[in-house]
Amino acid sequence: MTDPAPAPPAPAATARRTSPRVVLVHTLTFRQARRLLPYAIPALAAIGLGGGRWTVAGLVVGVTLVSLVTAALSWWRFSYLVGPGAVVVTRGLVQRSVRAVPTDRIRGVEVEAPPVHRLLGLVRVRIDAAAGGTGSSEEELLVDGLPPAEGDRLRTAVLTRRARAAAGPEDDDATAPPEPAEEEFARFDNRWLLYAPLVGGYLAVPLAAVGALSRVVDELPAGTLPDVDGPALDSVGAAAVVALVALLLLAVGAVVGAAVVNWGFRLVRRGDSLVAVRGLLTRRHTELEIDRIRGVAVADGAGMRLARAARVNALVTGLGDAQRRGQLLPLGPRAEAEALARRLVPDPGPLTAHPAAARRRRITRALTGGLLVTAAGAVLTATSGWWPLLVVGVVLTALGVPLGLGRYASLGHATGPSSFAVRVGWLVRERAVLERRAVVGWQVKQSWFQRRAGLASVVACVGAGRGGYIALDMAADEVADFAVAASEPWAEQLLPAPPAR
Amino acid sequence: MAVVVALLVWVPDDLGGPEPFLRWAVPIVTALDVLVVVGIRPWFKHRTYRWEVTAEAVHTRTGWLSRTWTLVPVSRIQTVDVTRGLLQQVFGLASVAVYTASSQGTVRIWHLEHGMAQRVAEDLTARAERTRDAAT
Repeated sequence: MTDPAPAPPAPAATARRTSPRVVLVHTLTFRQARRLLPYAIPALAAIGLGGGRWTVAGLVVGVTLVSLVTAALSWWRFSYLVGPGAVVVTRGLVQRSVRAVPTDRIRGVEVEAPPVHRLLGLVRVRIDAAAGGTGSSEEELLVDGLPPAEGDRLRTAVLTRRARAAAGPEDDDATAPPEPAEEEFARFDNRWLLYAPLVGGYLAVPLAAVGALSRVVDELPAGTLPDVDGPALDSVGAAAVVALVALLLLAVGAVVGAAVVNWGFRLVRRGDSLVAVRGLLTRRHTELEIDRIRGVAVADGAGMRLARAARVNALVTGLGDAQRRGQLLPLGPRAEAEALARRLVPDPGPLTAHPAAARRRRITRALTGGLLVTAAGAVLTATSGWWPLLVVGVVLTALGVPLGLGRYASLGHATGPSSFAVRVGWLVRERAVLERRAVVGWQVKQSWFQRRAGLASVVACVGAGRGGYIALDMAADEVADFAVAASEPWAEQLLPAPPAR
Repeated sequence: MAVVVALLVWVPDDLGGPEPFLRWAVPIVTALDVLVVVGIRPWFKHRTYRWEVTAEAVHTRTGWLSRTWTLVPVSRIQTVDVTRGLLQQVFGLASVAVYTASSQGTVRIWHLEHGMAQRVAEDLTARAERTRDAAT
């Protein structure tokens, strides 16, 4: 592959450009021209267009030209520079913007190759930086359109500089040291794709596709559609077949969706970082610093539990879009997931179940909705004789019992010498294992009902993942002990609930 | 809540269904709500509200029906804010917010006397500066 950009061993201080081929990519994807759309539509509406064939052709040519010009302009005005202390990106035509992100603020680098980019032999590099403070306001630098070799070079340059900035500012040449040996942590087995129909997120993929398709069909003029009679649903058999086919299609769609995202997933350790590579159409290359991993979350939904499957996410401080980037195992057998989790964070041991009062509370809460519907249904049946709502209410109430029991069975917490774990959820069950040093605060919540039942919910506040992990309905007098065992002695002041009365 | 209920008081006359019932029920509910929100809740809230700054941590307790205790060690504090709303300025009050790396680990001390809030914030900032560790 030829490299049109200046040759790699350039001194650190020269600004570099992206590959000119990116102009083609952006022309095809209307990346810049898309932004003009809100202005273009009213303008076109004002001019008023005849519906002729030439108008359409003219429109296509015009839009492509606009796209080409905007793409070329933004390529021309874009440059990036990996300096000794910062990464600087300069861009903008009328309004020049120069953004410098200090090297020590960089949290991770992601190299991705969407389909069009791959066709033209280009990659896109995302550089993630913490904006400081609360960690919620994240900023990102995007260098779009580099040849893969240059993308890799940029990644290693940024990451080694970061490492060096931490060690001490010495020599400043951009040549990367030889990449340290790789150690494989996880490799995706294509058989695991069969778990996909059991995962809510992947089931949503074919449903979304159906939704989009139906919208397109609605837009088409009526004449172009073949006149298909609706399937004859008069017989039970036919309806069952249709339902079965729909289910099958849904399952296949989920598997395909999972394959597109996770194809060839591989997680390796390279020096001090974990590198995850995945994707069928868009290849993604995500890098996480092991030093910033504060814990892992092992999630297994109700469907996944049936097949003994699970997925693993890393809880990393200061990582934007953590749900996607922190993925360590997108889908796999639970044994594999647990082994991976243990490898990164010491296991605190088996979970302790919560008191019986917690079970009563879960069941009561699961029944409330159903009972309300039942009551409303009873009123309706009495006043107007409309009974279906009553039936729905009774069914919901009956379902509430197993739901409450299931939710109770999920609850648990554990503390170990250097880590602790909490688990919650039924439909989406998640066990978070966190290092003790991750805790930046505690929050105890106790409603009036919880107070009467001698329960309390404890949230471990951490600067990673969702920001807080809850141990729901723990015995109120165990709270202080748990907090001390799961963090440091300062947590002693988190008085157990009774004296507060 | 009170606003929504208050708006419901002016249910149009020609509405069918349970409208006659609403015509007397809604004002009563509104009055009760106002009584609780203005007359009762603030007293309870004020009674349960506690805050404490010790050598190691900041600690608050809030809530009236459901209570929340929040505890943040000084070593994990990132920033401390003092804010004064318009009403707070009228009454000479200020609120202190103590932020950590976690979006959920924020301690808020509401409505302190302004001088006290200033002192608390300065003290915490200075100590956090000294004891901050690299854990987050």
